Amino acid sequence: MSRSGVPPWLARALAAWAVALVLGTCAYGLAATLARDLPRPHPLEELSYYPSGRRMGMVTLGHAETFADLAWMRGVQYYGEHRRTDMRFTRLYHVFDILTSLSPRFVPAYVFGGFALAQEGGNFERAEALMLKGIEENPTSGLLAFELGFLYYVKPGGRDLNRAGEYFEQAARLPDAPPSARRFAAYVRQNAGDFAVARALWQEVARHSENRYLREMAEREIRKIERALTTGRVELARKRLSTPSVSIQQTP
Amino acid sequence: MTVPLIARNTFREATRDRVLAGVVIAGGVVILGTQLLHTLALGEGRRLTTDLGLTTISLFGLLIVLLVGTSLVAKEIERRTIFNLLVRPISRPAYLVGKWLGLSGALWVVAGSLGLVLWGVLALQGHGAMGPAVLEGAYLAGLELTVITALAVLFSALSTPVLSALYTLGFYAVGQWSWDLREFARQAPGALKSTLEVVANLVPNLPVFNMRALAASGEPTTVYHLVLATLYALVYCGCVLALASAAFESRDFK
Repeated sequence: MSRSGVPPWLARALAAWAVALVLGTCAYGLAATLARDLPRPHPLEELSYYPSGRRMGMVTLGHAETFADLAWMRGVQYYGEHRRTDMRFTRLYHVFDILTSLSPRFVPAYVFGGFALAQEGGNFERAEALMLKGIEENPTSGLLAFELGFLYYVKPGGRDLNRAGEYFEQAARLPDAPPSARRFAAYVRQNAGDFAVARALWQEVARHSENRYLREMAEREIRKIERALTTGRVELARKRLSTPSVSIQQTP
Repeated sequence: MTVPLIARNTFREATRDRVLAGVVIAGGVVILGTQLLHTLALGEGRRLTTDLGLTTISLFGLLIVLLVGTSLVAKEIERRTIFNLLVRPISRPAYLVGKWLGLSGALWVVAGSLGLVLWGVLALQGHGAMGPAVLEGAYLAGLELTVITALAVLFSALSTPVLSALYTLGFYAVGQWSWDLREFARQAPGALKSTLEVVANLVPNLPVFNMRALAASGEPTTVYHLVLATLYALVYCGCVLALASAAFESRDFK
């Protein structure tokens, strides 16, 4: 027992707690500084040389879905980072190909990857390939068929009305398609109401998407179409419809 | 003087352990084995070697911590050899710090030797200029392992080897996701945001020690990064070891 009446072991334990508190506070402060000042590592780039998702599936030892989830998070991060900076999405297809091979029923991944590749990555062929892979893996998904119809309808460089109509109709026959699928199929087949269809499609996104970015994009597109219509610059609107810049759909 | 003595003994014990030798050999084989994957790398062989090499250092080092570090103190308690030490004028914090220093030293030897093997392999491929980036990567991996070792010593002083291995692994996983947690916090509402921010700063920020993407393209990192990472590792280890000491002081071995 020390003079102060505190047992030595308790005094040492209290001193250790005090040291831990001081150093812990320093570490806490440093952690915030590090996160602010240092460049983030890019784990996604480390994925880039994997030959395919199917081979990766072998090394996940039965946890393919978990790996797909992680790849999805990284993919979304990659998209967000490049969207904020250089708008170059060179590895996007690779990542979505990997994650959809790991998890073939991951429908939102096909949709998100497809629209990001077509509209912002400027690579419609890859977008189409990804979505068709999704249809092949999920032939009963009305949602995916609807989104593929949408993708063809807003195809950069010129809409593909035949294919858009075909997939809207396919969606209308499937149970989990959005209720508006039949209406869109009819619109597109009549080849009428170009702006009405485009505006309605974007309105669907603005109303139903859970993704804030997507809702903002849709609202921007709607405003552009409406402005073009009210100012009488229909040609400009028609041109925009052929080459929309942003449109990523995530219908619930 | 007791700390260096305990550290030296722990280092000697760890380096004599077959686990360590096995892991070093396996790590070397993996680094050499990356050469077989070159045909699949579509012209990215250098990147593959660097990336996998640095990952090997990190993961195999973690394996050593889990296999050796988590039983460091618990084993001595179980075998009751700790009584022989604690009846001597050795303070409990000095004992823990010595244990941590000894195992960390062994891990630095592993990280250093695998880093040199990696550099050698790259030099044979004609990429010897990547040396600085690779060695910096190995240095940061060594710092990461030092932090994980401190956590392993903390849990080893408090729990059984199996549980401490699980806790250490858990902290390693959460530590790797700490920057994702911070990103998550940015988008979370109200109280969840503050909670996530606090958690992200409390867990070991292991992404700080990851420069694999930079090293893979042969770019060294900044001195600022290296200094900050070193400072952070030292402060974090100090905090964890102080916590371990506080808990160990209160532990009754009767």
